[in-house]
Amino acid sequence: MMTNAVSHYFRSSIGRKHLVAITGLLLCGFLVGHLSGNFLLMVGPDAFNLYAHKLMSLGPLLYVIESALAFIFILHLYLAIRLNLENKKAGGKYQMKKWTGRGITVMSATMPYTGVILLIFLILHLKNLKFGTHYNIEVDGIQMRDLYRTTLEYFQNPLNVALYVVSMTAAALHTAHGFGSAFQSLGLNHPKYSKIIKNLSYLYAVLIGGGFAFLSVWAYLKGV
Amino acid sequence: MASTNNMTLNLKIWRQKNNNSDGKLVDYRVENVSPDMSFLEMIDVLNEQLVKKGEDRIAFDHDCREGICGMCSMMINGKAHGGYKNTTTCQVHMRLYKDGDTIVVEPFRASAFPVIKDLVVDRSAIDKVMASGGYISANTGNAPDANSILIPKPIADEAMDAAACIGCGACVASCPNGSGMLFMGAKVSQLALLPQGSVESPKRAMNMVQTHDVLGFGNCTTHAECEATCPKGISIEHIARMNREYLKAAFTYNEKKRSEGGA
Amino acid sequence: MGFNLDSKTPTGPLSEKWEKHKFEMKRVNPANKRKFTVIVVGTGLAGGSAAATLAELGYNVLSFCVQDSPRRAHSIAAQGGINAAKNYPNDGDSVKNLFYDTIKGGDYRSREANVYRLAEVSNNIIDQMVSQGVPFAREYGGYLDNRSFGGAQVSRTFYARGQTGQQLLLGAYSGMMKMVAKGKIKQFSRREMMDLVIVNGKARGIIVRNLITGELERYAADAVLLCSGGYGNVFYLSTNAKASNASAAWRCYKRGAGFANPCFTQIHPTCIPVHGDYQSKLTLMSESLRNDGRVWVPKKPNDNRKASEIPEDERDYYLERVYPSFGNLAPRDVSSRQAKFRCDEGLGVGPTKQAVYLDFRDAIKRDGRDTIAGRYGNLFEMYERITGENPYETPMMIYPAVHYTMGGLWVDYNLQSTIPGLHVLGEANFSDHGANRLGASALMQGLADGYFVAPYTIGNYLASTTLEKVSTEDNAFKDAEQAVMLQTTKLLSIKGKRSATDFHKALGHYMWDYVGMSRNEAGLKKAIDGIRKLKEEFWQDVNVPGDAGNFNIELHTAARVADFLELGELMALDALERNESCGGHFREEYQTPDNEARRDDEHFTHAAVWEYTGSGSSPIRHKEELAFENVKLATRSYK
Ligand SMILES: Cc1cc2nc3c(=O)[nH]c(=O)nc-3n(C[C@H](O)[C@H](O)[C@H](O)COP(=O)(O)OP(=O)(O)OC[C@H]3O[C@@H](n4cnc5c(N)ncnc54)[C@H](O)[C@@H]3O)c2cc1C
Ligand code: HEM
Ligand code: HEM
Ligand code: SF4
Ligand code: F3S
Ligand code: FES
Repeated sequence: MMTNAVSHYFRSSIGRKHLVAITGLLLCGFLVGHLSGNFLLMVGPDAFNLYAHKLMSLGPLLYVIESALAFIFILHLYLAIRLNLENKKAGGKYQMKKWTGRGITVMSATMPYTGVILLIFLILHLKNLKFGTHYNIEVDGIQMRDLYRTTLEYFQNPLNVALYVVSMTAAALHTAHGFGSAFQSLGLNHPKYSKIIKNLSYLYAVLIGGGFAFLSVWAYLKGV
Repeated sequence: MASTNNMTLNLKIWRQKNNNSDGKLVDYRVENVSPDMSFLEMIDVLNEQLVKKGEDRIAFDHDCREGICGMCSMMINGKAHGGYKNTTTCQVHMRLYKDGDTIVVEPFRASAFPVIKDLVVDRSAIDKVMASGGYISANTGNAPDANSILIPKPIADEAMDAAACIGCGACVASCPNGSGMLFMGAKVSQLALLPQGSVESPKRAMNMVQTHDVLGFGNCTTHAECEATCPKGISIEHIARMNREYLKAAFTYNEKKRSEGGA
Repeated sequence: MGFNLDSKTPTGPLSEKWEKHKFEMKRVNPANKRKFTVIVVGTGLAGGSAAATLAELGYNVLSFCVQDSPRRAHSIAAQGGINAAKNYPNDGDSVKNLFYDTIKGGDYRSREANVYRLAEVSNNIIDQMVSQGVPFAREYGGYLDNRSFGGAQVSRTFYARGQTGQQLLLGAYSGMMKMVAKGKIKQFSRREMMDLVIVNGKARGIIVRNLITGELERYAADAVLLCSGGYGNVFYLSTNAKASNASAAWRCYKRGAGFANPCFTQIHPTCIPVHGDYQSKLTLMSESLRNDGRVWVPKKPNDNRKASEIPEDERDYYLERVYPSFGNLAPRDVSSRQAKFRCDEGLGVGPTKQAVYLDFRDAIKRDGRDTIAGRYGNLFEMYERITGENPYETPMMIYPAVHYTMGGLWVDYNLQSTIPGLHVLGEANFSDHGANRLGASALMQGLADGYFVAPYTIGNYLASTTLEKVSTEDNAFKDAEQAVMLQTTKLLSIKGKRSATDFHKALGHYMWDYVGMSRNEAGLKKAIDGIRKLKEEFWQDVNVPGDAGNFNIELHTAARVADFLELGELMALDALERNESCGGHFREEYQTPDNEARRDDEHFTHAAVWEYTGSGSSPIRHKEELAFENVKLATRSYK
């Protein structure tokens, strides 16, 4: 019965929803780390490059972390898209549909779209930065990749900055709903705290979206 | 309460012969509408005119006409029960509309609610979800004295908030995902809050969710449109409680088949 | 023919009758129960609780209702509460007290033994409902809360906000759904019972219309439980839900079930007045409002000033004036009648002059707006939603409306009608409320019947009766179905000029004007005449568009109206024959000099039980004499 219950869980609407929530929250966590790391850009090239290098030299552990991250992304994507397609089928089709203004929000209504924007962004992002031009540099006598240069060069193109600002808006919208929704989905909710969670959600969205957007504009203004 | 029958309204009402045929919006004009009429009384007037002309009246569900039975169900101008706060269709009054308004009326829709005729839909899926666990297994005659189970007032009140659900299905109709989480969450939550009900809580959550999924209801993505149109103001916090119960259940519920033999 | 109106009341002292009876009744052994099938028509408190309990015991239950779900039965609408003799508040209540209040409230026209049993099982009901998760109101210590209700001097009413009926019904419904899942109950929604099938003198099945497809369906069983609710909608306007109908009970009457005291109807004093001829139903405002609201009319007829402009000395607080000791809390029948008297005198208020004020001005002044809002906030909101007026500022307007029917199919102590195998539960029977029902006791009765009485007495019936095998292919079924089909074809073929609702409204006017709160011989005769004519016109001029092979609401309505037309006439006849005033039945000829009801215990201490004798001939009035061995008949006084 035990295994039965668990496997049933992963097939059920709520079970899968829990997974979207958990993976979503993990991604939210990743973004916090990533943003803090990226702020080292503002400290200077050496600090940033050293940080990136440290990460790169984790060796096998890095692969574990990267694969885990990839797995989380893919799982999140897969479940979210599936849920979305199912929901499209389940919902009523009306000749006229209007929202009450007390429930649905732009954020919640656009989750799949902002999600897809994030996906496209991510592909471009990895292609242009992680797999972008490879410069070498020596810091404190160690040879390493000059990721700082790659990044700043990239942002010299205003179109790229625009892409980032748009994508970060999407990220903000996605997390503004997603963060709070994840708590709801997991049942980590209590009448006493639901307002706080909602506000925290907005705060998170603004800080993360604003933070990344700020960095990309900063990089543009900084110049190479 | 002045009965000034002074409004003329243009209605666009969904007509559909039965589940197998296509439907469409049909235009009607109703004159001499009094602001004191209820929305359903306004449609009654239209129906009386149709019947006198020997035409098929507009079929719609209704019964108590005071907001408690959950039978009435219309999408009025794109909103379940008209979208007014804590209001059922039968409690909508014509003073909320103006002379010359055009009003679009459609049935509650969701893939779990097939249309039967015109504005009447089949909501038996709600009963099926309830049958799969929306109860406490207390057979008649088993009960101990009512006061032997003490329940703190705040808990009893919260359970009552959830129990107020009238099973109208507006939550499903207004949810973009056609999800039944609100009415189901309300029941799971009500019974989980009460000591009598918490005994079976894990099993209840598992079974009800399973049935819910099979019947073609969608998932919740926390749009909260259900909460906004729920005529009884049921909070989506009850969905959260159900999610929690479900999580607990999935990982801890364990029932072995044991033989119950005896001498 | 003739009826056997033996009540089968067990002998022995009142308080031991039910125990004794339970001991003496035959039982079906557990293994045999699954061989019996029982039909339960209706899923209200009576039907829902009976279906669940019988299924738990092991019987196969077939359950029917007209709504789209059993949870929507009209019991859902009850607001106030449910009585029980728990004596939790320690105010000296007891089974005996509850029994006595109910008998007195019913103006001594109910059967002692039944009422006593009702009071006895009332406590079990509360236990049962709590264990099923009904969230009754609680005090801070976690104990159940009680409140007081009209006609009682103790607090014995349990409640769940203003939605007690809903919560109880959902409890009964959940018990039912549990057994549906186990396969012991087969539930059929959107089905309307069209006829009772009798085989060898015993009720063995029903014919129902599938309201969606229009098809007629036959169901056979070993016993039939009729739990189809009251017939207040014969007045067209009432506080009953729109689908409440008399048809199921009426068809049983026409198959030989006695109809007892059809004229006993309850008119509730605090309802929102009629506002136009398009009005479809009336809304009850809880009686609890009379705890703080003062009822008044202007002293001057046709006073068109606003209520706030009428000075204190030009107001007549008539309930306080006529009943100094009970004041605004006088019982339902009494308060309703007084409101009618005032309006008849031309003192009514509002655009239709058929309303009186219920004023909270003084209460708000005394306790503050917040306190009053705390007590009645949701009711005030409901009132404002319907009328568009704010009761904090202008007094409410109220008027009496038809609310409950004490009359119904005659049953014996076992709740069996004059047809063996046909048991009648809840508001559909006549049993416990006499000529007037006290607040919060209908819910109690429905659940008592369904949970704690019928499950035993049905067992007794099944165990002690020889039941031949029947099949839905038997002639009795075919004939019954044929008769329904004929009626349907007839209704559809008239294609006249008036809608069924039109006739229903016309019937309602006769009923309200002549068979309503106050009745007299001339009026009743006029009503009988008028209704007969109306019935003839109906069968010549009704228009039922469409056909029988689909979801045809107009056809369902017409069939119900046809039955209401016949029932209305019987009610008038019953009222005409009962030459006394008692409870809700007020005959103007029989009143005291100060307009109070005058009972005639010498001639009318009985239930009038009507026997159908065919469509052309008059029904026969039989009597079940009521013996009062434990209470003394006294004049009800609330002065
Ligand atoms: C507004 C209002 C408030 C009230 N408040 C209170 C209160 O506070 N306390 C109190 O004690 N009482 C109250 N009452 C009275 C009480 O609610 C009813 O008397 C009681 O609920 C009746 O229950 P029932 O089970 O007999 O019938 P109902 O609940 O009326 O159920 C009838 C059932 O029969 C079915 N049915 C009917 N006809 C057919 C047919 N032809 N074929 C198939 N099925 C059929 C229906 O679908 C339904 O399921 C109130 C009544 C009203 C109108
Ligand atoms: C860094 C990236 C991302 C983060 C932080 C993130 C975060 C979240 C969170 C927290 C949720 C809410 C879960 C819940 O309600 O329980 C969510 C839901 C969702 N995400 Fe993402 N997500 C990210 C990327 C994506 C991507 C790339 C897609 C691609 C399509 C996507 C699609 C969705 C969808 C469709 C949902 C479900 C909709 C909903 O619950 O309302 N997300 N996400
Ligand atoms: C101004 C904004 C951003 C900058 C400057 C930035 C910078 C970088 C850089 C330089 C790398 C390469 C790291 C390496 O190869 O070691 C990287 C990797 C990555 N970034 Fe960003 N990033 C930004 C925004 C984002 C956002 C919004 C997301 C998520 C939605 C994101 C997700 C990732 C991921 C998943 C990787 C791969 C990590 C890995 O392989 O370890 N980044 N980013
Ligand atoms: S939760 Fe609200 S909207 Fe949904 S069925 Fe219940 S009362 Fe209706
Ligand atoms: S609207 Fe639908 S998405 Fe969830 S919160 Fe309500 S069920
Ligand atoms: S008709 Fe009962 S809730 Fe509207």
